[in-house]
Amino acid sequence: MRSLLGFAFVIGAAVAAELTVGARSGVTGDLNPAGAVWQAVEASKLALHRTPPQYATEPPSALEIASVEVKVIRGAGKTWVRLAWPDPSAETASLDKPKKMWQSEGLVRQSAATNRFFDGCAVMLPAQPVANDLFPSLQMGDALHPVLIYYYDAARGAEVMEAAGRGTTKRTGRKFPARATWAGGNWTIVLELPEVAAGTPLSVAVWNGGQQDRDGRKYFSVWHRLQ
Amino acid sequence: MSRHQYSMVLDLNKCLGCQTCTMACKKMWTDGDGMDYMYWNNVETRPGQGYPRKWDEMGGGFDRGQLRPSEIPTKEDYGQTFEYNYEARMYGGAASAQPHQEVRNTPNWDEDVGALMLGENYYFYLPRICNHCTNPACLAACPRSAIYKREEDGIVLIDQERCEGYRHCIQACPYKKIYFNELLGKSQKCIFCYPRLEKGDVNACAKQCPGRIRFVGLLDDPHSTVHKLVKVHKVALGLFPEKGTDPNVFYVPPFNPPRTGNYGKSILEDPRLPLDYLIYLFGEEVVEVIRRLEAELKVAQSGGRSEVLQLLIGRDAGVRYQIAQREDLVQIQPARHA
Ligand code: SF4
Ligand code: SF4
Repeated sequence: MRSLLGFAFVIGAAVAAELTVGARSGVTGDLNPAGAVWQAVEASKLALHRTPPQYATEPPSALEIASVEVKVIRGAGKTWVRLAWPDPSAETASLDKPKKMWQSEGLVRQSAATNRFFDGCAVMLPAQPVANDLFPSLQMGDALHPVLIYYYDAARGAEVMEAAGRGTTKRTGRKFPARATWAGGNWTIVLELPEVAAGTPLSVAVWNGGQQDRDGRKYFSVWHRLQ
Repeated sequence: MSRHQYSMVLDLNKCLGCQTCTMACKKMWTDGDGMDYMYWNNVETRPGQGYPRKWDEMGGGFDRGQLRPSEIPTKEDYGQTFEYNYEARMYGGAASAQPHQEVRNTPNWDEDVGALMLGENYYFYLPRICNHCTNPACLAACPRSAIYKREEDGIVLIDQERCEGYRHCIQACPYKKIYFNELLGKSQKCIFCYPRLEKGDVNACAKQCPGRIRFVGLLDDPHSTVHKLVKVHKVALGLFPEKGTDPNVFYVPPFNPPRTGNYGKSILEDPRLPLDYLIYLFGEEVVEVIRRLEAELKVAQSGGRSEVLQLLIGRDAGVRYQIAQREDLVQIQPARHA
């Protein structure tokens, strides 16, 4: 079943397509997705694709979210990325923090559910500057071209991840500022990243909890160059 | 395949359904936060819905080498966890202790219900743990290589650092013996009490079992009772062999349960429970196994000595468990991917 994925995605270090994401420079972004500063920022529409099934026996899942709208502000040594996409159901929860792992006294905190998955999104960037238009593999980078993933999960919040190829994604434990709202059947999320140089490729992923998305089961965009 | 393989044999003819094993395991391993609904060891009434409910119909395992799709059981499939109004009952004058919510399912919800055959009720108990399979579907399904099978003793474990709680393993396990801790965001399962084994002590479920139904040892150790029962005398079988994972927990099938008026008759000549049901659980070979067991019983009943029955009586810990010394096991770290 792995070969199926490999077949679909062996792009390796791919050459950049002429796809770009616009950015507004020289202003300070706003973590608030409804902040006024966002109104003046040009939106780029990135087509989303569905990853193929994980198992050969699993039927492919529907493309329910065709695209994600991306707005970027660069300034004050930071880069704000605002992602917006339609999703009629918000899969989110506030989870109790586990405290007692072992031989606890008294009542334990309960797992409320066993089969729910939460909405989420991520921005993937090369961990090192790219040279000669060689972008990392879209499958979480590769050994020579590691990637950084700014990941937001509607139940667990934001965290930076690192990867150097499929199945190598690691949590770094580093948090970063992010704010999300879901209203009227739309998610809007602002991620506050360190400065990302113009010309850097980025790709976006969206997980739809309602479709049991997690891990490689997700929506993804191809690489787009940040202007 | 691992160099050695720990294995457990359970004699279903002796299980009392007392759940002492369940509680021994619960207190030992699953009383932390987020683990409330988990019973790494559970005992279910058969025929019956099982735990989680209808797990045997959910899918998982292999179909011609390919992982078979399956759903993830819901929390209600496992059985609700709830509290009682003890405060009100003890100090507030409430007439009885009642659960805080309407209870629609619990583990072993249909305890002792069983089924009818020829107007008589029949049932038996099926204690279950992870089978520490030779061909674990859970391991095959994990995209993060977080699940590994220990080279030195075949125990299947989930690396809690690597696990991201994706639950492909829960779907893939045909026995539904992996549980999701939502608060930790990790999948968790029976660890075959490896920290106890490493100290020379047997699994908690086996040690506490008042029915003395459990036998533990290395399947490949010719001196172990599990080896003798499974490989030499061939009187114990894995559950659902067709699921393709090659389980290492084996069961001596119920072969001589009593029914009114047929004392001494074989289950094959006058069945007390439908043989088809045993075939459903253990495959066609169960018929041969029952024949062998009955032959042994005849030997003993006619004053002879049956090694099989002597072993199955399991008089003391020395007969039931052969825990390998650490030096016996070649300590090789399993090959792990980055
Ligand atoms: S019983 Fe399930 S969890 Fe245990 S090793 Fe087999 S497939 Fe994995
Ligand atoms: S402790 Fe032994 S007799 Fe009691 S339910 Fe468990 S396996 Fe059966």
